[in-house]
Amino acid sequence: MTSVQDLPQIQGVKNIPLAEGYTSGHRTCQGCESALVMRLMIKAAGQRTIVVGSTGCMYVANTTYYSTPWVVPWMHTQLGSAGSAATGTAAALSSMMRKGKMTKEPINVIAFCGDGGGADMGLAAISAALQHDEYNLLILMYDNESYANTDIQASGSTPYGANTTFSPVGKEIRNMNKRWKKNTAPMLAVGHPNVRYVASADGSYGLDFNNKIRRALTIGGPTFIHSIDPCPKGWDYDPKFSHELGMLVVETGLWVQYEIIDGELTLNGPSRAIARGVRKRKPVEDYLLRQGRFAHFTPEDIKLFQDKVDESWEKWWLPGVIPVSMKED
Amino acid sequence: MSTVAVEVIYRGIFQRTLARNIVRSIVFAARKEGKIGTAFGRYGDSPERNGIPAKQFAVVADNAEELEETLARYEPTEVDVTINVDDTMCKGIESWAWYGLQPINQLTKANGTLIVTSRQDADSLIEDIHQKDTAFGLSISKSTVSFSGLWVYKDDHTDARILGTLCNVCPQLFSFDSMAQAMAEQGNDETKVASARRAYDGATTRQVEPGQGSSEVPFTFDLLGWQAMEEGLVIRAQGKGGGFRGGDEGFQPDRNEVFKKFSTRSMRPVINFETCIKCTLCWLQCPDTCFDVTPDGLYDANMESCCGCGVCEAVCPVPDCVTMVSEADFNDNSSQYEAWQEDKPAYQTWMTALVDKQKAESRTHGFHHIGGYAEDIAASEDA
Amino acid sequence: MTSTAIELFQTETEELISGSEAIALACALADVDVITAYPIRPYDTVMQFVSRLKADGSFDFDFIVAESEHSQFEIVKHASSVGARTFTGSSGVGWFYAFEAITVTAGLRLPVVAMVGNRALDDPGAFGVEHNDALAVRDLGWMLYWVATAQEALDTALLAWRVAEDPDVFLPMALSCDGSFLTHSQAIVNVPTREQVDKFLPPYDRGKLQLHPDNPITIAPQVNEDWLMEMRRQSDEAMHRSVAKIKQAYEEFKEIFGRGDPSPFVEEYMTEDAEIIIVGMGTLALPVRVAVRRYQEQGRKVGFLRVKFFRPFPTEELQEILTKCKAVCVVDRDYSYGAPSFGGVLFTDLRSALYPMEKRPHMLNFIAGLGGREVHVNDVNEMVDITQKAIDTGKIEKETTWIGVRD
Repeated sequence: MTSVQDLPQIQGVKNIPLAEGYTSGHRTCQGCESALVMRLMIKAAGQRTIVVGSTGCMYVANTTYYSTPWVVPWMHTQLGSAGSAATGTAAALSSMMRKGKMTKEPINVIAFCGDGGGADMGLAAISAALQHDEYNLLILMYDNESYANTDIQASGSTPYGANTTFSPVGKEIRNMNKRWKKNTAPMLAVGHPNVRYVASADGSYGLDFNNKIRRALTIGGPTFIHSIDPCPKGWDYDPKFSHELGMLVVETGLWVQYEIIDGELTLNGPSRAIARGVRKRKPVEDYLLRQGRFAHFTPEDIKLFQDKVDESWEKWWLPGVIPVSMKED
Repeated sequence: MSTVAVEVIYRGIFQRTLARNIVRSIVFAARKEGKIGTAFGRYGDSPERNGIPAKQFAVVADNAEELEETLARYEPTEVDVTINVDDTMCKGIESWAWYGLQPINQLTKANGTLIVTSRQDADSLIEDIHQKDTAFGLSISKSTVSFSGLWVYKDDHTDARILGTLCNVCPQLFSFDSMAQAMAEQGNDETKVASARRAYDGATTRQVEPGQGSSEVPFTFDLLGWQAMEEGLVIRAQGKGGGFRGGDEGFQPDRNEVFKKFSTRSMRPVINFETCIKCTLCWLQCPDTCFDVTPDGLYDANMESCCGCGVCEAVCPVPDCVTMVSEADFNDNSSQYEAWQEDKPAYQTWMTALVDKQKAESRTHGFHHIGGYAEDIAASEDA
Repeated sequence: MTSTAIELFQTETEELISGSEAIALACALADVDVITAYPIRPYDTVMQFVSRLKADGSFDFDFIVAESEHSQFEIVKHASSVGARTFTGSSGVGWFYAFEAITVTAGLRLPVVAMVGNRALDDPGAFGVEHNDALAVRDLGWMLYWVATAQEALDTALLAWRVAEDPDVFLPMALSCDGSFLTHSQAIVNVPTREQVDKFLPPYDRGKLQLHPDNPITIAPQVNEDWLMEMRRQSDEAMHRSVAKIKQAYEEFKEIFGRGDPSPFVEEYMTEDAEIIIVGMGTLALPVRVAVRRYQEQGRKVGFLRVKFFRPFPTEELQEILTKCKAVCVVDRDYSYGAPSFGGVLFTDLRSALYPMEKRPHMLNFIAGLGGREVHVNDVNEMVDITQKAIDTGKIEKETTWIGVRD
């Protein structure tokens, strides 16, 4: 296996490196949390990194019309190809370095995908990539809960009842997207026991985000991070609330912040406080009704969400992670 | 009648439904008089992004053959009326990379009209609008700028007022009665038609002479030919950046020269450097990498890049340290930190005045909560 | 390199191997860096051979068994962007599963070399040879070559990396090998030495286009109507340039390895003063040559022209050679429902290539050998008879005829 870089955990916001790998001048929405995720991701990884980005907002809005905000080498890949792109990039580096065709050095390989390209179309390729213990790579799935780049269509990660152009709120049917959001990161963790690092992340917790990226890139082998990204366009809210919504989704318990490192689960931040009983979960309504995509929700809809969140925290083996409880004998 | 083209220049996503209502109403109204028309969004603007300037068009002709001349194109070569539904775009718009900064009146015909939604007066607007070689009319639809989103629409009658004004300045399109009829048929209630009527009756046009307006030369780019372009779909990455203003300390990233994004702003942050506690959050949480880090550890929002999202104001823990204020009050992208360094008392006075003014004004920037728009409408002074 | 690897390819040897194994050996000779595999018949024997070479330590490369053809082709595409020499392949609908990756590989100007074990397309499932799989990408910027013998498979693979990786070309290349007849039949093949190959094949150097932290670039930014036409023009120019590069490389190949035809683009067989020239691709060359020899013995002037490079299409060569005959008898081991004259792909392209000529031969199309059906000498006789009739009467009764079909 090729070696990893020395990217220590950052102690405190003041020690976050100033260098940028993703600069201004991209055609993203005002308040785009996915853009922030890109920026923090490469800030943590540093300049000796190759980034491969699959089709989606973070392709089309970033490298729009023959320009780029990327300071590090960056390549486009297909919608469902984050997993295969990461594998191919890592394989080339590994092979060429071993055979003496390239100077040996640890180079970070990061492939990113949106929820549509990752959890739907590209799930098989990601799964295959996570079986290659011999390659150091990180697959980052940035989840804005829709196919956002094509003007907001429902994906397998879109919440129940959310308004999208494939699940519009109509006179006859209000909640057309009846699918409950799939639990991608835990699915991958459980399904690939050799993977040493799987985590959920949230750009609103900037320091935590940076450190998760670094842990993923230095632990060795293939790794996966799933970030939740509030999206002013698809979720319909004043862009200045992006940061706040990124916190609310965690404070309500709807999103759980955690890391699975070598088979051990740790909850982070407010999720940890909630699990320890130190902090009460905010009502899920506080989060849902701040967004135009849920403006049609009735009290029944909200109750459905609240019940699901309650169940996750009160009944599941691991809240937000393993949706299974032990049957009583 | 030859074809009449109308463009609506709007803030992407925030005003998409508004623009759509306007262009479609134009076609329906023209139909009342037996004319034929088409309404379309500019393909290159898609996918639309919150705040990035975009355009929709309505083209009306006497018959199908005449109309054909304008079809299968991305945008008309010129328009009779330009409708701008956010006055901060009078300073020019940059819709995508290599587009450059295009004047708001770029497509406006000689002796055409520019209608602007604004609470400013004509002189202030003309100051922002780039000079043209030909004359044009400026008609102000007096109201606060109307922002919505994809799913929930703020029906504050902006579209009605615009349409009323349009009937006044472009009578060759259709009569007010045709417009009123079409509006009613499209499900608009009588209060909306009444708003349109008031706008129609009260509309005034100020003549803008050739050479009047901003003398700024907006930035443009020459597109490369295939032989100059690198092979393999390759372009060079952005530079690594360096110290603040080229010095050894702090940090200033390199910025994308072919897409600056500042014309996305309808508001900009003003910073109180004296109360700043250097918590790093504005700098850290900015999706657009706007903040230059000064040698003394302060954060200067670079106005060449800031797109006005307001996240910095939201995350700043110190009251009134970062405040979003109207972009209309500014004429350039100069650095606040440098202004503060040069004359701290003057900067404090200037900044405080802007912050106070912002507190008095109300200008929403998207969905806050259910019923929020109705509250705004009730509270506003718009006719 | 392991000791086994060092021993291998020290001297020229003669081996009894299939076209697939020949290509596997070519991968080893060329020191390919990354190979991806996914099972589908009949190409995948090549991957069984390369994996054996790896397991025995004969050849060091990263071997990845992908979870689908789409990923398989995506992996090598990305490996190639970083500067790795690559090889992959597929057949039939497997190749189609990778279509998205195949398309972008050409647009990205990545010199991936792929083997297409030509196989009929589903539905129904069938493993016999048809050429439609590889032909389907003919517009997209891949160089396409049809191989007829196992020797040619090995030789052309080397030629492929050489031409594809030339910075003035940087286009991917697919080697079409007829399923079963080439992929699974063993023939005597001369395997060259590593030293000879090193003389012929320089290392792959992507230069300023390489994806590596020492060369920060953005590859394939999204574009609008302002840019795409220029990018297409660049690919067009590259394909133009490939013609001279192919010629030059082929001349060098002949010098170093001591074998080859006069032209890299076409193979002529008894075409001098032929009245009828049969044109076709791939292994149907074999029964056609048998038929041609028999005609020659009978004193009839029938010749055969095998098209080797289908892209870039050898327009000049074909015009030069075919202008002299009276009739061209085009054999298509493919179909193109609803095409002009309901003819096959080779026929349509060839007819278009000959159109500008002042002196044009009659052109007739024969659809034969689909789904792996054998093409026999008497099938060739049938085609030649029909063609002869056209010459004699001066009229073409039917432009396209399906041969060997039970009615």
